[in-house]
Amino acid sequence: MSAVKVTKRDRNVIINPLVTCQPLGAMFAVAGMSRGLPLVHGSQGCSTFVRYGFSRHFREPSEIAVTSLHEDAAVFGGRRNLISGLGNLAARFTPDLIGVVTTCSSEIIGDDVDGFIKTARQEIKESLGENAAEKIKIVAINTPSFVEHHYRGYDNAIKALVDQVALEPVNCNDKLNIIPGIVNPGDIREIKHIMNMMGQQSIMLTDTSDPFDSPLRPGSTQFKPYYPKGGTSVQELEDCSNSSGTISLCNYGAQAAEVLERKYKVPSAVGPFPIGLQNTDQFLRNVKKFSDAEITDELLDERGLLVDSMADIASRYLFGKTAAIYGDPDMVTGIARFVCELGMTPQLVCSGVENQEFVDDMKEVSKKADGEVEIMYGQDLRSMEVRLEEEPADIIIGHSDGRLIAQDLDIPLVRVGFPVYDRVGYHRVPIVGYRGGINLLDRITNTVLEEYYDPVHWKLQQ
Amino acid sequence: MTKEQHKKADNTKNSENGSILDFSPLPDSIIDALESREKHRCFKKEGKQSTPDCNKSSIPGAVTQRSCVYGGARVVLMPITDAVHLVHGPIGCAACTWDIRGSLSSSSKLYKTGFSTNLQEKDIVFGGETKLMDVLLEINRIYHPPAIFVYATCVVGIIGDDLKKVCELAQKKTSTRIIPVQSEGFRSFNKSLGHQLAGDALLDYVIGSSHETTLNHPFTLNIVGEFNVAGDLWGIKPLLEKMGIHVLSTLTGDSRVEEIARSHQAHLNIVQCQKSSNYIARQMEKKYDIPYLKVNFFGIDDTASSLRDIARFFNDHGMLKKTEQLIKEEINKVEDAIKPYHDALKGKKVAVYVGGNKAWSLIRAFEELEMEVIMTGTQNGLPEDYQKIRDTVKEGTLIVDDSPVMELYHLLKKYKPDLVISGAKEKYMALKMGIPFCEFNHDRITSFSGFRGYINFAKNLDQAVSSPVWNYTEKKLKNGRINQFNEVKNAKI
Repeated sequence: MSAVKVTKRDRNVIINPLVTCQPLGAMFAVAGMSRGLPLVHGSQGCSTFVRYGFSRHFREPSEIAVTSLHEDAAVFGGRRNLISGLGNLAARFTPDLIGVVTTCSSEIIGDDVDGFIKTARQEIKESLGENAAEKIKIVAINTPSFVEHHYRGYDNAIKALVDQVALEPVNCNDKLNIIPGIVNPGDIREIKHIMNMMGQQSIMLTDTSDPFDSPLRPGSTQFKPYYPKGGTSVQELEDCSNSSGTISLCNYGAQAAEVLERKYKVPSAVGPFPIGLQNTDQFLRNVKKFSDAEITDELLDERGLLVDSMADIASRYLFGKTAAIYGDPDMVTGIARFVCELGMTPQLVCSGVENQEFVDDMKEVSKKADGEVEIMYGQDLRSMEVRLEEEPADIIIGHSDGRLIAQDLDIPLVRVGFPVYDRVGYHRVPIVGYRGGINLLDRITNTVLEEYYDPVHWKLQQ
Repeated sequence: MTKEQHKKADNTKNSENGSILDFSPLPDSIIDALESREKHRCFKKEGKQSTPDCNKSSIPGAVTQRSCVYGGARVVLMPITDAVHLVHGPIGCAACTWDIRGSLSSSSKLYKTGFSTNLQEKDIVFGGETKLMDVLLEINRIYHPPAIFVYATCVVGIIGDDLKKVCELAQKKTSTRIIPVQSEGFRSFNKSLGHQLAGDALLDYVIGSSHETTLNHPFTLNIVGEFNVAGDLWGIKPLLEKMGIHVLSTLTGDSRVEEIARSHQAHLNIVQCQKSSNYIARQMEKKYDIPYLKVNFFGIDDTASSLRDIARFFNDHGMLKKTEQLIKEEINKVEDAIKPYHDALKGKKVAVYVGGNKAWSLIRAFEELEMEVIMTGTQNGLPEDYQKIRDTVKEGTLIVDDSPVMELYHLLKKYKPDLVISGAKEKYMALKMGIPFCEFNHDRITSFSGFRGYINFAKNLDQAVSSPVWNYTEKKLKNGRINQFNEVKNAKI
């Protein structure tokens, strides 16, 4: 029988955080724009440490500019820094889009970002000429670091991009907008693959797949400035108001979907994160809802391969095993549902967000679970560690920051999500869709086999 | 350099030997933007001043490789293994930095734990002091650590929390050392200020705070400015011990609070990272009358002469003899081991772009392998740092200060090094350009210091430069020179 226990952090201090601040999410969103650059309006550390984090996970360059706010700006405001920063960035990088990402300091000193951008636009026009200036879109993104966390920053950024760049709709383009969330290049490519199989064109808002996984081809790569291939073009972003629907794969894409629905009457669906069988099924239903796309035989074959793997593997090796899952909320709920489909129990799920939607979604998922599910929200890795010391799970599923917990408690860790820096290739391999489900199933099963099955008497267990 | 020269340099196509680097000329607007940075680059020339303009704020809107003051303080203090490092600010300042320093520990893992006060909107409005106090009491209850370092971030500076007062109060309540580090991120464009503030925190609150007398050893020293990245300290300490020296403490690699608290009793300080830690050594000399020596344990010659300097300082006949013997033995071992790497690396051109100290302390190490350092530079150099660089490099070396990303592209493309030495942010850029790369930063996983470390160093460089991947350029494929692909030559396709 299923039962649910909900717990919230009972102390002020955060120990080993599961979330970071809003600007990171916004920088990630803007990095998915073709020839797009984030300009962080804050201290140098605000961009440098995020660049470091992206490089460490994706093993790719990550270009993020910063206005380098210093003490004088705290007193007199960051006006000069932002205006000259935009001017310099425009002249040096001639980007198609600049996303101005605010931080704690620029939000507290109360900079009039919209006003400064207007002035900067005028100055860029004067220095680069009307035509060149016209080609550079500048989007203001408010991401106060002291409110919520990186996922809200992503949400705010996608909303700002859509709100400030999408044009008045003309004719329906028969495309679907997809807001993928903070996911890996492999996941975005898998979603595109599914859309292709259904013969449905899409606009990714935004597409970080190629920018964060690009080929080493010095001869045909643009270096000065460095712009990786791919990403969502400004034209696509302008066109997203003409789409026949918007699907956000996560709850933190809802604001942009709402803007498109309210302003341009583009209908939308939010969630679920398409991990595992039921969630991917629901994603296909959503696609069908907004389009004439067909669920093709080939796609059903892919589904069949996942079901086949589940039949081969899950009941034999995974049934009854328990998992602790942590990380970003939508991914956690998605994975929790998937492990239930595999006959496992998501004994403990832990997210850093203080969000009722997460709790409600998890309660829904828990109905299918065999055994008690503990839902920890607004928590950190230390809380999870303490709980796992008291009641160990068979495996832990989450990102690299939990590696020491796994080591100390001697529980194997199945790596997923962001950041994974102590193993390679995880950003390329999808976990969404049917094929991603197979990958994740294999990853979980191999971990279980490694830890819990006896290699000497292997044949007896086959 | 004028616009025309820039264009000319860019138009010189590098067609010979099938280089995989191929670029289009720079647009004018970019050249204009680069010109404002011209003073930040120079070539070493005999008799000339030969140091670049430095210690200036970065151009807003640049993709700077620099960090913030908080980052600077954090890197110096974080290797103290049994302390709690609490970041007073919004969650991101802790979340993006809590486990990025590659400093190893032989005991406690507490320093690898991320602590944040997670300032929220209401704390910004009403002030974060109450929350900070609560957090300090909570941490003390859970861990009771020998010290809690409390780092101020930008926000704390703006809302004006009185960090010092809260720490004082909390110290009374908890009877553990609670140490304010006034490292508001935006206090300077140069994170060197953070290094100094971290030094102040140690000098004011830790060093000299234990009066327990240590063993009565005739030769004791502190290793200052050694952070045990990838275990560097463990390549140095055994050498000193073999000389008969007792290492009282390290500031701060693999250190414990109590050791640093007693470090004022040492006879000598030796300073490895002169970028971050000269300040501490100078202050300890003033305050405790401890002389200091600048040392460098990267490279054979520099390691040997550092050990000799130390032995000469103690001026003990037995030690001098032991030291010479040790150096002789170690050098013999090293020279044999590096021979194959030496052959592979000889004549290769290197570009170094790092956070500080390594911009000069590595130069000799490369020269010993007969490699040519054609460019070196730092993100945060001070005038004194560039003087050290100037005195170390040979004539004609390009010296750069705070090069933003696009300028680095430009320089790498123009001067075509065979190898780039830098950190994680530059790594993938260099590789994307087709230039071998060797990590020399927080992320390094191999120790490079001391004699044994030098073997690792040479091996790592060889790994980077000699990797077969660099043979498989698509130009060769497109030109149809199939016989260059030895592996497929005889395969039946």
